[in-house]
Amino acid sequence: MIKELFLAGLIALKDYIATHVFTCLVPAFLLAGGIVTFINREEILEILGEKAKKIKSFTLASLSSFFLAACSCTVIPVSSGLYYAGAGVGVAFIILWVAPASNILALIYTGNILGPKIVISRIVSALLMAFVVGYVMTIFFGRERGEVFQTSERRERRKIISRIELILLFLILLSLLMPNYIVRRGSYIYKVLVWLFFTLIVIIYSLKMIPKNKIKDWLRETWFFVKIIFPLLLLGVFVVGIIGKLLPENWVRSWLGGNGIFASFLATMIGAISYFATMTEAPFVDTLIKLGMGKGPALALLLTGPGLSLPNWLAIARVFGIKKALVYVPTIVILGTLVGWFFGNFIF
Amino acid sequence: MKIQVVGPGCPRCQATEKNVFNACAELGIDADISHVYDVKEFAKLGVKLTPAVVVDGKVVVSGKIPTVEELKSIFSELKK
Repeated sequence: MIKELFLAGLIALKDYIATHVFTCLVPAFLLAGGIVTFINREEILEILGEKAKKIKSFTLASLSSFFLAACSCTVIPVSSGLYYAGAGVGVAFIILWVAPASNILALIYTGNILGPKIVISRIVSALLMAFVVGYVMTIFFGRERGEVFQTSERRERRKIISRIELILLFLILLSLLMPNYIVRRGSYIYKVLVWLFFTLIVIIYSLKMIPKNKIKDWLRETWFFVKIIFPLLLLGVFVVGIIGKLLPENWVRSWLGGNGIFASFLATMIGAISYFATMTEAPFVDTLIKLGMGKGPALALLLTGPGLSLPNWLAIARVFGIKKALVYVPTIVILGTLVGWFFGNFIF
Repeated sequence: MKIQVVGPGCPRCQATEKNVFNACAELGIDADISHVYDVKEFAKLGVKLTPAVVVDGKVVVSGKIPTVEELKSIFSELKK
C-alpha cells in the first residue's frame, strides 16, 4: 500500500517534469524575475498611496496587483505598508486579495495545466471579487482612520518601466505563450523547439539591449524564485499525486461534483483554510477535477487556495486588527462560494 | 552606524540579512545590525517593499536582495 502511494507520487512528479519545466516554468520564473527587476514597483505604490477617486484607485490597485508580488509572503507587508502610509482601506485589501489570488506565476501555471478558459475566469472573478471586497471594507472601515505614518514626501515622478525593458518582458511572455499556441498537437518536442526559438530571441535581445549588471540582477532574482518555489512545487505535486490515489472517487464526486452551491462552498472552505504554496493549487485542482469535481467548485478553490489560509488569517488579524479580519475573511468566503456557483452554472 | 534589515522573515529577507553581515565583516565595520520583523514598523521606517535595508534611518535598499558588493559600496559611501 505504502509502496503504491509512493509510486503514485513519483508518477505525478515524472509527468509533471516531463511536460512543464521548459515550456512553462523556465519562462515563468524568468518573467517573475524580470518583473521584480525591471518594473519600478515603488512608483506604482507611490501612485496608489495618493488620494485618488475610488473607482480609479480600485482599478489601479487591482491591475497592479498582478505585478506587485509574485510570492505570497510579500503581500501582507506591501498592503499594510500602503495602508499605514495613508492609502484607503479598500485599496490595501484589494491588493491583499488579488496579488495571491491571481499573481502572474500562478496564472501562467494554471493556464498550462487547466487551459485558457479557466484562467480567464480566474482573472475576471478575482477582479470582480476585488472590487466588492474593496467596497465592503470601505463601507465598514472607511471612516475610521487609525494611525497614519506619513513618511514619504513628494518626489518627482519616475518611469515605471523603460520601453526597452518592457519589450524584453513582452518577448519572455512570447516564449511562454507561443509553444502552446503554435503547437496544438503532436509530440512535446515540437513545443520545446518553439520555446527554444523564442528563448534564443530573448537571449540575443537582452545581450544587445540590456546592460550587463541589469541582466545579472534579473538572473539572480529569477534564480531566487526557482530556489524558493521549485522545491515546494515538486513536494506539492508529489503530495497531490498521493492524495489523488487516496481519495475515493465517489467521495469527491458526491461532495464536490456538479456546480451546486454546497459543493462550491465546500471547495471555498478547503481553499480558505489550508495553505497552498504559490502554484501548487493548480495540480491539486487538476487532480480533483479528474476525480470528478465540478468546474465551478474548481474555480472557487483556485481563487481562495493561495489567497487565504489559516496562518494568513492570523497574520491579517495581527497586522490590520481582528475586526477587519472578521469582515474580510467571511466576505471572501461568501464571494468565493457565489463565484464558483455562478461560473459553474452560467459560464462553463 | 545602525543598520536595520527590514522584512517579515521571508527567505529573501534572510538572504539580505546574511549579505549585510558579510558586507560588514568584509569591510570591518562595527555596526549595530538588527532585523525588523514587525510589519507595522515597516511603514514607520518608510519601507514600502521588502526586503529593505535601513541605515541610520535612511532606506538604502528596498524591494530586492542586495549583493554583498552593492552593500559594501553603499556602506563605505555612507561612512565617509
